[in-house]
Amino acid sequence: MGKFLLRLTTIVLFLLVPVLGTWTFFKAPDWGWWFPQNVSSFGGDIDHLFYVLSVPILITFLGTEFVLVWCILRFSSDKPGKADFVHGNHRLELIWTAIPSVVLVALVFGQMGAWTHIKIDMPRDGEFSPEHPIAEVYASQFDWRFRYPDESGNFRGIDAFESAFDFYVPVDTKVVFQLRSRDVLHSFFVPEFRLKQDAVPGMTIPVWFEATKAGTYDLICAELCGWGHYKMAGRVHVLPRADYDDWVAQQRVALYSNGSDD
Amino acid sequence: MRRFHPASTVTPASLVFVSLASMGLGSCGFEPTIPTLRFELNQNEIDEYPDTLALDPVAQDQLRGALEMLFGTPSNPGYMLVEEWIDDERNPNYGDMELSEDQFDGIVADNTAYFAESLKAIEEGRFEDVRPRREALDMVDAFNSDLSYRAAIQADILLGEAEQAELDELDAVLTEEWTDALTNWYPSLRDSAELYRQQCLHCHGVSGGGDGPTARFLKPLPRDYRKGQFKFTALAGGTPPRREDLFRVLEEGIYMTAMPSFRRFSDAQLHGLVDYVRLLAIRGETEALLAYDYDENEFLPFEKVKEEYLFVWSKWETAADSLIVFDGDVPASTPERIAHGRDLFVDEASANCVKCHGTSARGDGASAFERNEDGELERVKDDWGNPIFVRDLTQGIYRFGRRPIDIYRRIHAGIYGTPMPSHSSLTDPDGNRILSDDDMWDIVHYVRSLSASDPTAHTGDADPAADGSHGAGQ
Repeated sequence: MGKFLLRLTTIVLFLLVPVLGTWTFFKAPDWGWWFPQNVSSFGGDIDHLFYVLSVPILITFLGTEFVLVWCILRFSSDKPGKADFVHGNHRLELIWTAIPSVVLVALVFGQMGAWTHIKIDMPRDGEFSPEHPIAEVYASQFDWRFRYPDESGNFRGIDAFESAFDFYVPVDTKVVFQLRSRDVLHSFFVPEFRLKQDAVPGMTIPVWFEATKAGTYDLICAELCGWGHYKMAGRVHVLPRADYDDWVAQQRVALYSNGSDD
Repeated sequence: MRRFHPASTVTPASLVFVSLASMGLGSCGFEPTIPTLRFELNQNEIDEYPDTLALDPVAQDQLRGALEMLFGTPSNPGYMLVEEWIDDERNPNYGDMELSEDQFDGIVADNTAYFAESLKAIEEGRFEDVRPRREALDMVDAFNSDLSYRAAIQADILLGEAEQAELDELDAVLTEEWTDALTNWYPSLRDSAELYRQQCLHCHGVSGGGDGPTARFLKPLPRDYRKGQFKFTALAGGTPPRREDLFRVLEEGIYMTAMPSFRRFSDAQLHGLVDYVRLLAIRGETEALLAYDYDENEFLPFEKVKEEYLFVWSKWETAADSLIVFDGDVPASTPERIAHGRDLFVDEASANCVKCHGTSARGDGASAFERNEDGELERVKDDWGNPIFVRDLTQGIYRFGRRPIDIYRRIHAGIYGTPMPSHSSLTDPDGNRILSDDDMWDIVHYVRSLSASDPTAHTGDADPAADGSHGAGQ
């Protein structure tokens, strides 16, 4: 291949990366390859962080890709023999370390609010709190189970009931649950709540969310836990308050069924 | 100065090869090949079969052939129909025919929710966006065939060889047919076999022997269906399970075992799986009967095969009659009941639960163990040959439900396949029942009280030993 053609092909191929990469990123929502709906109160904070991060990432990505192309244009040479020896450029290195550092430190402080809000500031004053969770969520290979307490709030009482696969919660309420694992690492992931929390064996981890829209949402496991990880799923049912109370009452009654409906 | 020539892997030839390979794989929709599966004879039992069968491969092929005649193959399962079923219009190849009206209505409602997006697509004329279950092989084929026919008409319209009215007429027919197919969908045995292959086979095995590739990592082991015995039913005595019992296992899973809840599938699919599991169980039982009865001079005559086949079926049909139901309300727990339950629990002459469950109910009673041939203590085995870990009742682990009625049923009927006896059948020398229903309720309340903790305790500061989550997955 002629040298000119080779250079042209290489430049075009390299340029395709930033061009196609950026184009698909902006076209993705039209193709349905974007976020699912957000129905939690703090989901917006997470999405906002994503967009904030996208800006420096986009700038850096396009910048480095174009620099790559510029280097091919500027520095490719027909001369055989020894290459030019460059000792480095201290000023340049200082700049390209300082600017990203400033950006990263800004991000560290900028995201702390969202992290604290979701992971640290557990609701304490409402109906549910880490001491009085709505349920204990047990992750196991390869099942999600939800234990609700008896009427006095005791999870070890004989009238505590368990639901397999289906997690029922009331809408517009700050819900707190305790996440536990029966065997290995799992992760409680509800994409539509933008909520993810690893379930660590041996730990009881409080998790909270507030669902803003009634409906049924997917729950999936987000930490590889074995051969059934891909199909370890559940459903979160967000119900209007009255329906949720009805459901709990129904479960309490169903516990004492005499079996004629089985 | 030394010259450095790194060996280059990026040669023109390799570039060509890699790009062609990736284009080929990507464009032709790479599908893994499914191996041809075959039902196998029960290798655990085969040594017990008469030598004329166990040592003769030709006889074994005959037996396999007879079973294939009766039950088909994993890719094409089905029951052989016999003339005895004509009069009562029985055809177990269509599981939905066995459902009550209410059960079927429930399935239709569930299908409507399950296929909501596809039904909406049909209404809006977006036939390409309809998604039937991929294991519903016949439905997928039918829909694809309809789509190509529709595409052909659309092409003809463009060429001026057909009218738009023809397409509209077809769409009206498809709308009705496809809506009907989806809402009334009930999987065939073939569909269920395919779903079984995807979801169940890796633990439960091709022939339902509990010997799939992932089984050996599990404790307890997955169920071997071939004895036709299932531990957890709502039935009295050693009978095969009802459809509802197996359905419940699929819906709820089995607590603290590797059997998860399969609620993510539709009710129709779960019922279909029940049908298929039943086929595997009946096949296993029929194989055992034919094998143990094998006579080399008879060569498995058809009449005998049919007789055993119908015999196994008759057991399954009468199962529902033995449902344990308690008339009236479940008695509430009181301190008196709990105290009386405890008395019965420890009394040798009465329920004598401590014999196996131990004096502290931790599953360490003397009868949980036996001496083997070498005089060593080992755990008692269940009917499948697996060692039994007698339940530690303080853990609150109840495999088949924690409702009082579930525990009542376990005490009433025992656990089929294990030494846990049917306490309702315990009689004294005069033939009178030792334990009345009321006595058994007292024991139920006592047992439940064992796993409960102080009412003022809350999660976080509860004793982990009492919550059932630190057991060894038994």
